Amino acid sequence: MTAVGPRELERFAAGSRLFATGAADSSYALAHDWARAVIGDGVPVRQASDLDPGALCVAVTLAGSTTALGEQLPRGDEPERAVRALERRLGTRAAAVVALNLAAENALIPLIAAAALGVPLIDGDGTGRVFPLVEQTTYTLGGISAAPLALAGASGELVLLETAPDRVEDLLRPVVLSLGGWAVAACYPMAARDLARVVVPGTVSLLLRAGTPGAPRSAAAPYGVRTLCRGRILAVEGSTGHGGELALPSLPSSILVQESDGLRRLIRLEAHNEIVLALADGAAVAMAPDQICMIAATGGLVVDVDKAAPGMEVEVMVVKAAPVWHTQEGLALGGLRAFGIPL
Amino acid sequence: MNRPRPAGWEAPVTVAELVDAGPLAGARMYGAGDQPVHQVRIVDELAVFATVAPHTAVVLIGAAAGGGWAVEMAVRRAWEQAAACVIAPSGGPSEGSGQVLAERLGITLVFVDGDPLVTAVRVASAAARPEAARTQLVARCATRLAEAGPSARRVLGVLNAELPGTSVAFLDRYGAHVAGRRAAHPSPAPQPPGSGHTPGVAPGPGSGLGATSAPSAGPGTGRGARPVTGGPSGTGADPGGGSRTGHTGGSGPAHGPRSGDSGAGSRRSSAPAAWEAVPRPGGPGSRTGRAGAEAGPAGDAAGSAATGPGAGAASGSRPAAAGAGGDGGGRGGDEGRQAPERGRDERRQAAQRGGAVLAEVEVTGQEGDVLGRLVASGSSRSAGWPAVVRAVLGLAVAPLAAWAATERLRASRDFALQAALAERLLRAGEPGEPGEEADAAAREAAVALGWPTRGPVTGFLLRPFGEPAQAGSRGPQGADEAAQAQAVVNAVVGQVPVLRRGEGWAGWSALDPGRLAERLRRCVEAMPRPCAAGVGARVSGLDAVGESLLGAEAGAFVAVAGSVVRADRMGPAELLGALPAGALRAPAAVVLRPLLDVDRDGSLLETLTAVLDEGGSLRAAERLGVHRNTVTTRLERIRAAGYDLADPATRLALHLACHLTSAPS
Repeated sequence: MTAVGPRELERFAAGSRLFATGAADSSYALAHDWARAVIGDGVPVRQASDLDPGALCVAVTLAGSTTALGEQLPRGDEPERAVRALERRLGTRAAAVVALNLAAENALIPLIAAAALGVPLIDGDGTGRVFPLVEQTTYTLGGISAAPLALAGASGELVLLETAPDRVEDLLRPVVLSLGGWAVAACYPMAARDLARVVVPGTVSLLLRAGTPGAPRSAAAPYGVRTLCRGRILAVEGSTGHGGELALPSLPSSILVQESDGLRRLIRLEAHNEIVLALADGAAVAMAPDQICMIAATGGLVVDVDKAAPGMEVEVMVVKAAPVWHTQEGLALGGLRAFGIPL
Repeated sequence: MNRPRPAGWEAPVTVAELVDAGPLAGARMYGAGDQPVHQVRIVDELAVFATVAPHTAVVLIGAAAGGGWAVEMAVRRAWEQAAACVIAPSGGPSEGSGQVLAERLGITLVFVDGDPLVTAVRVASAAARPEAARTQLVARCATRLAEAGPSARRVLGVLNAELPGTSVAFLDRYGAHVAGRRAAHPSPAPQPPGSGHTPGVAPGPGSGLGATSAPSAGPGTGRGARPVTGGPSGTGADPGGGSRTGHTGGSGPAHGPRSGDSGAGSRRSSAPAAWEAVPRPGGPGSRTGRAGAEAGPAGDAAGSAATGPGAGAASGSRPAAAGAGGDGGGRGGDEGRQAPERGRDERRQAAQRGGAVLAEVEVTGQEGDVLGRLVASGSSRSAGWPAVVRAVLGLAVAPLAAWAATERLRASRDFALQAALAERLLRAGEPGEPGEEADAAAREAAVALGWPTRGPVTGFLLRPFGEPAQAGSRGPQGADEAAQAQAVVNAVVGQVPVLRRGEGWAGWSALDPGRLAERLRRCVEAMPRPCAAGVGARVSGLDAVGESLLGAEAGAFVAVAGSVVRADRMGPAELLGALPAGALRAPAAVVLRPLLDVDRDGSLLETLTAVLDEGGSLRAAERLGVHRNTVTTRLERIRAAGYDLADPATRLALHLACHLTSAPS
């Protein structure tokens, strides 16, 4: 049986940022230190199918802004309080914690929760990548509701949301804002048998392997990864919008990259919270739900869309999403149209 | 109209024609625009492209125009469908990248300011009925020409404004520039680089796509060489970095590997090389790259590493779009953005300089005389264009004839004006000297007046005898008569200048001395008071006409009233004939008085005349039929009367007196 102990934590943390932004932020360092402090002897990692089928599993994630996490420090009990609140509402103890996604802080917070609660961490997550909305998960695709959802804020607040699945995001965002910009959310309560059905499996072990020094970056991409181009950012433009009225946390923008070699194509990366569409000389070459990210040529860190600046040398990579995202339902939830691009 | 249209009038309009002189006038065009437009398609979503036929002008609206990514995708799809052009509403933030992509792919991208739907309707009507569109242009030109009125400069201004991309010049009958764009002079400039601006090679879509994520585009459109977006495998093979020459008909060799080539690896390696080999339309990368780098820190950061041609051109224009580098960056951006623009203008100008003469029309005055030629040159952007240009030039002939007529009328009304012009022409310096502009204006007026300004000319002078018939009765002294002389000369000799010279009126004509003398004889007859005329020798040009005028003056002086003397035919007889015999007869009588007093029978005068005429007494004796001693005796008597025949001055005076006395009065 796998476990994440102090040594594995370092590999896990390294693996969690291979295709995730914000690895250089203080919030990530904070989450890393936090996890180090609570990890103790280690957190067991279990497959969902190995649990008692009726056992309650809870997804834990950071909700809101990671920047806010770095500025308003946590008390340390937020993950535990959020899960306990959900347990009180459901009248059942959580038998395991699962991640919503495994990008940087969001990989570490569930680990911290599992350590604090003394329960195992499920080997898997709800996206296989990162999406901006809480409801953009394979759990939702599997028919599991994010609600009831418990939020624990840094000042001891506790909020329980109970609503229709498609209203969760609408309610969550203002509440998180009033909690100080971030909170730990415990959500998607479900039985282990359901989790086994909807989880993107094996991603925790994958990150542990990918985070091993010397492992190739592609090891962190379970369904394949390819390099779209290497080039230099020529321009970052505000995009004139992608059509639909969208409730996404950030403004659309457009990043132009000139391929440095080969055909010297003009690559346009349309970003809305994340890069959702890549055009090469006007032809679509990659798009959501696959994950498109820019890796800085110097340092090898993922470049945040907001931090992209002209002159940066980047490698544009496309991480293939889990097959479930390429189903009709998956595309509706996490495909281009979910980001307002009518393609 | 009953007149049949010249061939080509119905040829499909090209994009450039629409932009330069059609419904897209004023729009910004990126790309060559040499594609004919057969129809129009309004596209509000990319799916519509599947049914876009070749030679379609695609008008983007709504979501399809909403943002740089949408326009870029549309440009790409339009290229795949062999559309004629993409028309997008301006104002988007990404015109720069759209322009780069359009030039990369060799498709024309047009940004319009107005409502794209209105544009679409206009383009559709122009494409459906190219004849109507061209007629509309011709009609508009007719209206503008009518508004311009009789002025050569304004007429040429209208022509060059309404026929952009085409240079129109008005040359006089000697081929010298009068008005319009000098670029239009036909010159043996080297031919433009042909279709080099339409890259023979299109970039392939590059690294292939995973099978499951392949977005649309499907298989090619039946033109094997068309690259296909979305390969069947996820290996990253370039599915078709092929050439597009098949459908553009461009003359460039197909550099890119055909999609039939085998071996994904070889394609990947050869396609970029092929792309490098194609001259980029924006000119050498170093130029635009430099333009970007000049502009300050931000531009420099992006432009400095530009090495290859492609990278250079692109990074030169790119920092523009960034606009994030503060002031310096902003400037850098502008510079960069302009660089390709400049490149395009230069390209077009180069094409015009080398461009063939599209049309040439002779301009005749209202009296049928040739004023000059209108010459239009530029690149022929469609089969129909030269015919349209010819029609428009034809429209300009009447206003130019009217301009000439107006100028002539003005000059004929005002002797002083045309005389001043003539003086200006006589004194006109070399180009580059002070007063060059005024000289040019005088030359322009001379064209209107139909005056000869080049080639061999002959000077003339008309000299009146006696007192003016109605001196001072009207206006300043002699003004009426001068105007009268000018009118008579112009009526008989033709359109030539008339200027005052002493008592008479001088001028020059392109006629040879013989014909000019003939015409002047009729002038002399027509003038109200007795006149004579002199005609100078023929000289090589206007700069030597002063010499010819001197001869004309001499001729006129020796001519008796009612006659015309040609300087090139003038001899001693004419000089003698010009002596004012009447006036000199009395002094001659005084000189001869002592002789006549002793010469009872006139034999002494007869002998003196004979001796002086023959230059010696021997031959004088022969002429008189007397013995030479008789002559010697008579000469003794003449000396005795007080004449010193050894003195040359006395001899000349006596000879003249004899001539006058013996001449018939």
